Amino acid sequence: MRVLKIIPERCTGCMRCELACSYEQTGTFQPSKAVIRVSSFEGHTSYAPYTCPQCAEAWCLTACPVEAIGISPAGAKEVADDICVGCKLCTIACPYGTVFYDPDSHKAFKCDLCGGKPACATVCPTQAILYVEAGTEDWLASFAAERALPAALAGAR
Amino acid sequence: MAAKRHVIVGGGTAGWNAITAIREIDKGASEITLVADEAPYARMVLPYYLGRQIGESHVTTAGPQRLAALKVAARLGRRAARADAAGSKLVLDNGDEVPYDDLLIATGSSPVRPPVPGAEGANVHSFWTLPQARAVSGGIKPGSRVAMIGAGFIAFTILNALVSRGARLTVLEIAPRILPRMVDDAAAQIVQGWLEARGVVVRPGVQVTAIEDKGGAKVVKLKDGPPVEADLVIMATGIRPNLGWLEGSGVEVKAGVVVDARMRSNVPNIYAAGDVAEGPDRVTGAKAVHAIEPTAVQHGRVAGANMAGREVAYPGSLLMNIVDVLDLEIASFGAWDDAGAEAAVDLRADRPAYRKLLFRGGRLVGAILLGRTREIWATNDVGMLKGLVYTGKDLSAWKARLRARPQDIRLAYLATGTARELLPQTLLGGPSVPERDVTVNA
Ligand SMILES: Cc1cc2nc3c(=O)[nH]c(=O)nc-3n(C[C@H](O)[C@H](O)[C@H](O)COP(=O)(O)OP(=O)(O)OC[C@H]3O[C@@H](n4cnc5c(N)ncnc54)[C@H](O)[C@@H]3O)c2cc1C
Repeated sequence: MRVLKIIPERCTGCMRCELACSYEQTGTFQPSKAVIRVSSFEGHTSYAPYTCPQCAEAWCLTACPVEAIGISPAGAKEVADDICVGCKLCTIACPYGTVFYDPDSHKAFKCDLCGGKPACATVCPTQAILYVEAGTEDWLASFAAERALPAALAGAR
Repeated sequence: MAAKRHVIVGGGTAGWNAITAIREIDKGASEITLVADEAPYARMVLPYYLGRQIGESHVTTAGPQRLAALKVAARLGRRAARADAAGSKLVLDNGDEVPYDDLLIATGSSPVRPPVPGAEGANVHSFWTLPQARAVSGGIKPGSRVAMIGAGFIAFTILNALVSRGARLTVLEIAPRILPRMVDDAAAQIVQGWLEARGVVVRPGVQVTAIEDKGGAKVVKLKDGPPVEADLVIMATGIRPNLGWLEGSGVEVKAGVVVDARMRSNVPNIYAAGDVAEGPDRVTGAKAVHAIEPTAVQHGRVAGANMAGREVAYPGSLLMNIVDVLDLEIASFGAWDDAGAEAAVDLRADRPAYRKLLFRGGRLVGAILLGRTREIWATNDVGMLKGLVYTGKDLSAWKARLRARPQDIRLAYLATGTARELLPQTLLGGPSVPERDVTVNA
């Protein structure tokens, strides 16, 4: 299966992925409705995009009481808007923080890999987001561990 | 070898998930009999039926065709009256006997009402089953005065629907605060203020003494204040697991049927799952009845897999709830009320925003999250908090930081490799299969 591979070292924090994602998801540019979110690392000028890893357990899918979440041909866990009732169970089942709720449509939404043409990967100017054949991984852990030093951040406000 | 005979009692969330797990694994090789007094449906979406966002058929999880397609012999409208553990057979309410090789107890819970005069009177409803949801829905007109007795989680799941149907709502709660089993005092205060500002009357700390009739209306009498007049009364005063039929069966029952990590009771070929089961709690390590949907799903899947011969050990359930009331989001995870835990709190004065993290040593054992719906979903925090509590990640190095800024959990989540720990974990030992994709061999 093709997955979104994230190479955080290449990310410049330009946020184009968030914009493209929200446009693809909602038809408007609203980063608050993007399902890929860029984190910044204070004092490091470092950034890293983060999105649904399309995990094997599919916590969101198994939790849904009305079977609104299925697996798309691209292999993404995908919410069917016409079935979702907006109960948000998927959002607390998911331990990755990658299922969201849209207060306007009252539905859950998440990364669906844009049907196999992920907009985030297409627009990323530095190829920090690749759509490639790979096993899914935690792409950010080591990068974040090096940059987010809790001791240095402890008192920071 | 004769096909194994699985008998499932109860076709709600846990029963249905067990059935699909069995079929996912055995592809139809076994016999499954479902004994259930109601057709399979998901009661937790009844609030959306009440709110008229969905029709009745939307709550159904498996109709006759789906049951037939999964080769399930359904005895619907029948109740299990007794389990004969020694003889490995189930006795139904009409006297029929159903022999089994293994049995799943998935009978859920039922609503309970306080024993006050008038509690069973006309226009006094529980909201737990589809027929009850129909009755409440049919009883509400724009402008109807509704008295909600009980301000627990279930009551809160239907507040939005009641308001959207035009009901004028009074919420009465015996405990000193609303949502007493979901959030702490500080959060309850904010929620109460939020509701009051939107026209909902909220009265915690009051005890109902009687429900009387007065010229077609209801009068809810209180020990601690003036009575409340209403056109319709909803009793959301708690639930009790459906265990009565197990009396004398030899199955060990405490708060629920006590089960091990394979969802097995003390009787080796009797399993239990869902609201009726007392299973392992992920955070405390003790056994508990959670009575929430996600626990029923996981219990059902683990029980089904083990019944189908795949040895699966359950890592335990995490207590968690989320509900929004009139665009205020409220969620809690794990041991949010652990009095012995160290708490990190962020309470904002300028807006309804509250966060509480509870630590035992370096481990996050519970969390409460509250904020405007729009604000909450601009972050990844809901699921990340779940992930941190669920994994019990060592956050010792992060504690000072999290205490200073409980709102800022993202970096701790990412840098501790929480996702790395979670990704290889699957409940049934492989990628989950959507229920609708489960099929049986011809
Ligand atoms: C309005 C409402 C909103 C809710 N919202 C949420 C929510 O947002 N989040 C959440 O986590 N949970 C929620 N819940 C709770 C959730 O629905 C339950 O935890 C879940 O349904 C439990 O599943 P279960 O299979 O154990 O029991 P059930 O789904 O109740 O199924 C048990 C079945 O067994 C049948 N049965 C009982 N006794 C017998 C017998 N002797 N013989 C045959 N059949 C029998 C019952 O009739 C029933 O059909 C909500 C519940 C309600 C009512």
